[in-house]
Amino acid sequence: MDMNDVIGYALRIGVLISVSLIIIGFILLSITPQFSELMSPNSRFNTSVVKPEEVFRGIRKGNGVDFILLGLMALIATPVVRVVLGVIQFAMQRNIIYVIITLIVLFNLLLAIFILPLII
Amino acid sequence: MMEVEFLILLLISSIIAGFLGSLTGLGGATVLVPIYTLFLGIPMAYATGASLISTIATSSGAASAYIKDRITNVRIGMSLEIATTGGAIIGSLLAHWIYEHHLVFILFIVFGVVILSSVYPQIEKSSLELPKPMKPDWTTKIFQLYGEYYDATLRQEVKYYGIRWWLGEIVMFFAGLISGLLGIGSGALKVIGMDWAMNLPLKVSTTTSNFMIGVTAATSSSLYWLFGYIEPALAGITAVGVIIGSYLGTKVLVKTRNTRLRLIFIIILIFLGIEMIIRGVSLWT
Repeated sequence: MDMNDVIGYALRIGVLISVSLIIIGFILLSITPQFSELMSPNSRFNTSVVKPEEVFRGIRKGNGVDFILLGLMALIATPVVRVVLGVIQFAMQRNIIYVIITLIVLFNLLLAIFILPLII
Repeated sequence: MMEVEFLILLLISSIIAGFLGSLTGLGGATVLVPIYTLFLGIPMAYATGASLISTIATSSGAASAYIKDRITNVRIGMSLEIATTGGAIIGSLLAHWIYEHHLVFILFIVFGVVILSSVYPQIEKSSLELPKPMKPDWTTKIFQLYGEYYDATLRQEVKYYGIRWWLGEIVMFFAGLISGLLGIGSGALKVIGMDWAMNLPLKVSTTTSNFMIGVTAATSSSLYWLFGYIEPALAGITAVGVIIGSYLGTKVLVKTRNTRLRLIFIIILIFLGIEMIIRGVSLWT
């Protein structure tokens, strides 16, 4: 299969997974009291204290908010996967300068996701 | 059942935003953030956080289709993403600083100015499908800024090449900065970077810009997440709504000649731009 098709499918699957998780999350959330807390302009929810391991624990408990959060994480991860596949694609074409360029883009992304949270 | 009403209101607003965004190529966020902040009383930080998330969704959805068409230039897009992701990091940090210092009026005013300045290209739609050829420069060769695609309206194979990579990078840095600051895709600025600075055909510029928006927005939204600006319920509904809206938009786009729609959209943009500036000024004084 052409690498372009792989990338196209990866993007589509990423969006599909994320939308499904979000919708499941809303269905689970709608029957809990937390629903009215979140569905208001005065919601005080703060993602800065959300830890990934708590989200996974919440998923096992069938916690609606955690399904939505995981869906949002999947959405943010989709472009990251896309860039990783880009590195592979350029490596297969032996296009050295573009392997380097794509690695720089990947570095910027990982800087925002993993490194800056440690500093700030 | 206040919350169900609110949910439906959010869903309808985001569908409309996605619809208008895909018809005009400006992206959903341009109208989404003003509707959320001016009319639904949602705080600026949450509104921009949700719109960033929705931008990733629409860009990823559209990019998968465009890559298939082979009009998007993945090389040019990737090379410019160095600047957009860098700009997005700086823009998000700047946004955080502004929120921390309670200077949110600045964001309202900047947002208003950005909306109003995107009106001009809507009126003055580039009549030139293909740019006038210019001499390739050293960056054309080093960064392999060339490609070809089949243009269905011109019914011909179009070969093109880009120039002034460095100038493109500079414009892209600011596109990323604005994107991180205001939570929009800033597709208009990205198109200017490729169309004006690098002399690329409009079709290549618009599709490549769309391809880049997802990566730029992923960078800023992970920082927004870190700062606590993403409200899951709001961001979740917005993402789903904007995807539905932009899907409907692409269906309508192929059927209509959209001059009247464009006029309506221009009026909406002017109205929202002025409202945002008024809100900003009133928060200031």
